[in-house]
Amino acid sequence: MATQPEAMIALHGAGFEYVTNGRRFRAVEQISLAVPRGACVAFVGPSGCGKSTLLKLISGLVRATEGTVQVDGRPVVAPLKIVGMAFQNPSLLPWRTVLGNVLLPLEVLKENGDARAADRQANHERALALLEKVGLAGVEHKQPRELSGGMRQRVSLCRALVHEPELMLLDEPFAALDAFTREEMWEFHQTLRQLRTFTAVLVTHDLREAVFLAETIYVMSSNPGRIAHRHAVTQPFPRTLEHLYGHEATELIRIMREQIRSGQGSSA
Amino acid sequence: MTRVAARGVLLPLGVFIGLLVVWEALVPLLRIQQIVLPRPSGVAATMVETAGPIAFHAWYTLLTTLIGFASAVALGLLLGFAIGASAMCNEALYPLLVGFNSIPKAAVVPLLVMWFGIGMIPAVLTAFLLAFFPVAVNVAVGIATIEAELRDVLRALGATRWQLFKKVGVPRTMPLFFASLKVAISQAFVGSVISETIASNAGIGYLMAVAASDFNTRLAFSGLFVLAFMGVLLYGFFAAIERRFTAWAYAD
Repeated sequence: MATQPEAMIALHGAGFEYVTNGRRFRAVEQISLAVPRGACVAFVGPSGCGKSTLLKLISGLVRATEGTVQVDGRPVVAPLKIVGMAFQNPSLLPWRTVLGNVLLPLEVLKENGDARAADRQANHERALALLEKVGLAGVEHKQPRELSGGMRQRVSLCRALVHEPELMLLDEPFAALDAFTREEMWEFHQTLRQLRTFTAVLVTHDLREAVFLAETIYVMSSNPGRIAHRHAVTQPFPRTLEHLYGHEATELIRIMREQIRSGQGSSA
Repeated sequence: MTRVAARGVLLPLGVFIGLLVVWEALVPLLRIQQIVLPRPSGVAATMVETAGPIAFHAWYTLLTTLIGFASAVALGLLLGFAIGASAMCNEALYPLLVGFNSIPKAAVVPLLVMWFGIGMIPAVLTAFLLAFFPVAVNVAVGIATIEAELRDVLRALGATRWQLFKKVGVPRTMPLFFASLKVAISQAFVGSVISETIASNAGIGYLMAVAASDFNTRLAFSGLFVLAFMGVLLYGFFAAIERRFTAWAYAD
């Protein structure tokens, strides 16, 4: 599996163990999976099942203590530079304008001699174009505190996307938003993926979100985190919110809910 | 000036003048001797009579304070950056800093005088010793508390530690740094006056010590008023700078 040429992400028996106060903890173990290029996969599971650790393994922010992690056919041994990340907290820099925040990744790449971000004028245009596409035209010179929560999260996603990463890692990016804004953001995320193909890995507590956005969903169990079940969502893209009320979605959500509950109980 | 700002100045000023009036009235009423507690009008008269020497000593104290303050800011920034950015520096230096800060600085002045003689140097050093701690601690806290997620976002772009420090650490520390300047300038002021009082031949602290030994209560009070005025002015100056440079940290 790990050698599949079309796999963007391939994990083979990957695990992560860490030591705190002299005690060893296993965050995740025996993770084997392959994510095709351009796919969106979701990880759901109870709190503490190591979903976020999995994202860090893939991005190279932590190194697997067992097994292998490969991205784009190469083993991950250091933080990858082709990744965009977004979190529950938009974590914008309050002293920078909206535009300044979106430009941050390009600045870092430029300083590190990356040809993709060498031209300052082009960087500005790219950031402005992206902001316009996500409906934030005209707010580029505002401060983050002047925006609503949903707008801030959109800025955060723009920051994750502006350097056109091949891989997007989303750690509960919409969890802090109200229900309506969240659904808007799902559709927004889908639009982004239509604009430009990227591989996305989504970690979420929200089963409906997983069913709406992902084509493959992994259900994890906790202590230590393992992949317990794998589900395919067959509904083609683009999806509408109607999709969530169809038979496939409701049945899948019901099954996953039960699996997560029993997964919590089975922990040793 | 807006109405709110005007109120912020006029209200405390009114209370201050009211207190002076009460004081002025009470001294003769309670038959307090001038040598124990002079009337404000008497103090004012002395201030006018000795305006020249007072100005000289005030200038001397100001200079001492500012030199001590500037060196404290420079070293405080360096130490704060080091402690905030490196866990090892933190473990090695922070306990020492806390221990050092708990020494009452007045107790160090005689040693400084022994080493450097009576003059400006012990006063500058005392100001410095009192002022660098708040700067170092505030800067260290700002650098050390970068959000983990922001760090991940930047590291996932291949950002170096230096870039993280430059792009996130330093700007987010600025409000804390400017806030610490207000504290540091007041501390430096206290330090230089303490040292002048104990061992010096110039400065407002020296002036007051001499006035007290001559039982010149009016002159001692003149020094006190000048100190209060200078203290408020210095604090206000750095508070204004703080608001000017870190407006983003004060969301309305």
